[in-house]
Amino acid sequence: MNLDLKNICKPKIFEKVFKTHAKDLKRFLYFKFNDLETAEDVMQDAFVKLWKNCGDVSLEKVKSYLFTIGNNMFLNIKKHEQVVRKNKFRHTKNSTNESPEFLLIEKEYLEKIEKAIANLSEKQREVFLLSRIEKKKYKEIAAMLNISVKAVEKRMHNALLKMRKVM
Amino acid sequence: MENNTENIENEFFLSQWIEGNLTETELKKIVSEEDFLAYKKLKKGLDIYSHLEKPLDTSFKEIQNRIHTKTKVRILNTKWIASIAAMLIFFIGFYALLGNDSVLNKSNFGEQKNIVLLDGSEVILNAKSAISYSKKEWKNKRKIYLSGEAFFKVKKGSKFTVKTKNGDITVLGTQFNVKATADYFEVICYEGKVQVTDKTKKYILQPTEAYRKINGNKYEDLNYIQKTPTWILGESTYRSVPLKYVITDLEKQFKIQIEAKNIDENAMYTGSFNHKNVTLAFKSVFEAMNLNYKTITPNTFVLDK
Repeated sequence: MNLDLKNICKPKIFEKVFKTHAKDLKRFLYFKFNDLETAEDVMQDAFVKLWKNCGDVSLEKVKSYLFTIGNNMFLNIKKHEQVVRKNKFRHTKNSTNESPEFLLIEKEYLEKIEKAIANLSEKQREVFLLSRIEKKKYKEIAAMLNISVKAVEKRMHNALLKMRKVM
Repeated sequence: MENNTENIENEFFLSQWIEGNLTETELKKIVSEEDFLAYKKLKKGLDIYSHLEKPLDTSFKEIQNRIHTKTKVRILNTKWIASIAAMLIFFIGFYALLGNDSVLNKSNFGEQKNIVLLDGSEVILNAKSAISYSKKEWKNKRKIYLSGEAFFKVKKGSKFTVKTKNGDITVLGTQFNVKATADYFEVICYEGKVQVTDKTKKYILQPTEAYRKINGNKYEDLNYIQKTPTWILGESTYRSVPLKYVITDLEKQFKIQIEAKNIDENAMYTGSFNHKNVTLAFKSVFEAMNLNYKTITPNTFVLDK
């Protein structure tokens, strides 16, 4: 095969495709399902399917392929759930009693969060990301940045205050 | 002095609350109702954000696992061992024996295949079934091997034999349906006369008569009044058949996997399902049996009472 460099059937290339598109795909799926677990599950399914059909998908078209698969899986599941609900087959989770409407996180809200994080001061953002994304404890962050725990808490507190103001 | 400590403790209360060290009730006491709701939503939003932004190494490992166990799971699934192994062994064995001039014809999941044999006889294969025969031998003897289910329209002529794992069927010129899978063997005569050989016993079937042997039990004589099998027209029909065989057929028609550990697979089912839509098919089968199912992925389901 001449096009070896673009062959998704090669593990290294497949991994690169994953690193490039997985996050975006998961995010896209989250806003469809409004459920993190399902978004993760379907995202993984899409990549498994991509691997199965790796010989048929070109590197240029891979993003559109992944998103189409993901969207189709979403449509199938939703269609299925609708019929199931209609036939009272099983007790489906009602969105209103587990996550009240006002707690529904839409795409726009998440974009606001991202913008707010970008608008934090360097010091606040540093602490914020280490705590919220890297899941580090305040003690650890203090040691990493060579500041007191109180200083870490102050930056986090102010970061959240700032974010609240723009949400 | 106490007030001071309290103030210091509460000074950066948001940092405590986001870590989970301050309860919602405690937060409610400090901020306004409006602020409280806003912070509550913000916390959820940040939670989602952190999940969507976190490194996906574990996800990738999961995907690699799924890719590698996909084939393992199929083979390890005991329900498939019997049917696939039996079909493959039967098939590959005879196909290999037949030599270079042998013809192998198989159908895929949810596929029906029409085949015309060298003598003009017709075979319609149901999903996930296969036939093979030797072109050379055909001139002298019409012999064909079957795994799965097929409807035969045999042109009048010399003896026509269908060999299956469960038994042989011999006719001169007639129409009949054979379903031969792991431990399900059924022959239905629609026209002419059909001889079924099961080990050493021989049975002659006339139109509407059927011979059925499930799971090594005693054989049954049944009568079917239809002119042709219903599956050819896209509907699979069952008369007092243990549910596990219906489940296997659903898997073959729709290319899905159904986990049935939690239910009684030997409960008898009488009814039919349409090949067009899996949801309606499930409704026809499972609702009638008072069973529920969970969708794990678009292709795997788990049955429950």
